[in-house]
Amino acid sequence: MKTISWGALLLSLTLMTAPATAQGSTKGSGNPFEQSKFVPDISLIVDVSAAYRNFLDSRYEQFAIPGFSSPYADNPAEELEGMNGRRGFNFNYGELVLYSVVDPYFDLFGVFTLNEDEFGVEEAYFTTRFLPYGLKVKGGKFLSHFGRINEQHTHYWDFANAPLVHNVFFGESMLNDKGFRLTWVPPTDFYLLFGGEIMQGENAMSYGHDGIANPAGDTVIEEAGGPNMFVAYVKTSLDVGNLTILGGVSNAYGSTRSNHGLDVAGEPGEAVSGDTNVLGGDLTFKYMFDSIRYVSIQGEYVYRHFNGRQYTKDETDTVSDQALKRRQGGLYAQVVGRLTKRWRMGGRLDLLHLNNIYLEHIKQDHPSNLPRFTTMLEYNPTEFSRLRLQYSYDRSRFELLSAGDLRRPTHELVFQINLAIGAHGAHAF
Amino acid sequence: MKNICILFVLFALLAVPALAVRLQVVTTYPYIADLVEQVGQDRVRVHAMAGGQWDPHTIVPKPSFIAKLRRADLLVINGAQLEIGWLPPLMNQANNPRTNVGSSGLLDLSRYVELIDVPTSVSRAHGDIHPDGNPHFHLNPDNIPPLAQAIADRLAEIDMENASFYLNNCEAFTKKWEERLPIWAEKMSALRGQWVIEYHKNYDYLLHHYGIQLLGTVESLPGIPPTSRHIVALEQKIQNNAPRCILQDVYNPAEASEHLARKFDIPMIVLPHDIGAVREAEGIFSLFDEIIRRLTHE
Ligand SMILES: [Zn+2]
Repeated sequence: MKTISWGALLLSLTLMTAPATAQGSTKGSGNPFEQSKFVPDISLIVDVSAAYRNFLDSRYEQFAIPGFSSPYADNPAEELEGMNGRRGFNFNYGELVLYSVVDPYFDLFGVFTLNEDEFGVEEAYFTTRFLPYGLKVKGGKFLSHFGRINEQHTHYWDFANAPLVHNVFFGESMLNDKGFRLTWVPPTDFYLLFGGEIMQGENAMSYGHDGIANPAGDTVIEEAGGPNMFVAYVKTSLDVGNLTILGGVSNAYGSTRSNHGLDVAGEPGEAVSGDTNVLGGDLTFKYMFDSIRYVSIQGEYVYRHFNGRQYTKDETDTVSDQALKRRQGGLYAQVVGRLTKRWRMGGRLDLLHLNNIYLEHIKQDHPSNLPRFTTMLEYNPTEFSRLRLQYSYDRSRFELLSAGDLRRPTHELVFQINLAIGAHGAHAF
Repeated sequence: MKNICILFVLFALLAVPALAVRLQVVTTYPYIADLVEQVGQDRVRVHAMAGGQWDPHTIVPKPSFIAKLRRADLLVINGAQLEIGWLPPLMNQANNPRTNVGSSGLLDLSRYVELIDVPTSVSRAHGDIHPDGNPHFHLNPDNIPPLAQAIADRLAEIDMENASFYLNNCEAFTKKWEERLPIWAEKMSALRGQWVIEYHKNYDYLLHHYGIQLLGTVESLPGIPPTSRHIVALEQKIQNNAPRCILQDVYNPAEASEHLARKFDIPMIVLPHDIGAVREAEGIFSLFDEIIRRLTHE
């Protein structure tokens, strides 16, 4: 699956759609088994960028956010494969979206990520279209509706990267998992949404359910049976003249099993087992000056509460464990304005402000003031193309040295181009 | 978690008396809401999502629209892809099977009129074009009666008890409408054969109906602001054809039109495209009255 060339995939899609245009509405001619009318809505989004940082990649990839990323993380370079990862040119992603009604009962969506040599399923899910009383079920693999930005595709983000707090709690691919969701929109005059999700719980940054063994193969941490993550949320909105306010609270709860080399012989490693509870609150104010210009203020606060044990292993493969507690929190707050039909600009503050980690009830020495400042300027020739220049000053990253952690303030400049073809994608609020 | 469950039950209880007895109709644009009101009067409760002063192509999809769509017995849309950029996600989030595509609770008005400017080849190299043809069809006064009829027929189908009420109202409305047609035609006869310029192809159906010729648009391509090269070409056309006026909508920037108006000493007329776009356009009758007043006012 991984080596499927996406050129070939696109070609086959093109061939599927070709007869529709070639044949038009001519009656009585052509293939009596013609299927082209049933071709789903297709769109392709491509995102490329040029990035500059004041550190070379080999150095930058050694940096970590103390207390948030494990010092034993096996491949920190993996992070650089993500959005704007490399200094110089990046192919960030191609995204192929397919949508169609299945039958009177279901809709089906597929969102596929196309990397240079990989074909991945970002989302593939059905939703029901027949349930009464404002209910809807969604099932498959999908982005959780925890908070505000988590459910949005990269293409709809206002900045070239995800907020820091989402990055450290959920990773680059956000909270995206297999499972089911039930939503209920009650018949109220104002907008109100209740949602609950049951997920497999495989998010590597905060959850996970596989058991973990030592190099000899003896179970150190018992497997947590799946599904093991549960999300619940309430969202509501209010219009005051030209101002729209949208807010919500969310909760994601599940078991945590994470392994950084505990099963590898002859090397130090660690693993963590316990329960994680992530709480989030989000608030958006959008004021429309007219049909074109607006200013939008948006923020989310996310708090992570973990109780469990940490298992550490030295070179002699001796495993010891101690009680681990994490109380961590962070936020982002952004202002984005559309000045004219084509120009948008904005700024964002990211802050990880709470970083309390307790081993055997002793608070560890980790920095708790980890900010990042970002500003961007966007030019949108049409709805289908976007050029974005983004600068950020990141004070969250440290070089982990034996003498102690040293802050490495990073300047980053990104020029990003995002293009979309095919079916017209509509923007949610 | 527990608190959320309690809230669930609480709102389920609150929801029951909130269900109104009148038919709930949601429309995308104000002109449709007015037609529904003409036909449904006190037997329906109508809500238009978009404001008349907004760009109909890019309505901000406010979450409050989801609450309205959730309770709709009937959703009436303009269609011809005018709502493609904002409506589908709202319908998706409203969890209302009554207004699904293919259900009797969704009425697409574009099916009841003939569209003009249907492109023979579709490419976004020509801007953000309307692939099914020009969707701004409600500004042809001849199209209003069939639209009202389509609404009345659908209301009658959904709410059979009141069927004759809707159909009679529609008949009365059509009669009243047809009385106005010759008055408007008389006033507009002075413009027949003349050239005009418009910002976006918003008024083509109106121009067609009254035999007015379109010299060009101020925007260089649909949805794409004017380039200097496009303005130069347009100025050449103005010099050769002496258009009567420049038609500007209320939501696009007026600078380019104002510049042309000043340079060639021709009037720029701000025309409402929908009810509520200007103060005087309060209903479907006054929308046309006002358009014609502004066009014929010397
Ligand atoms: Zn248009």
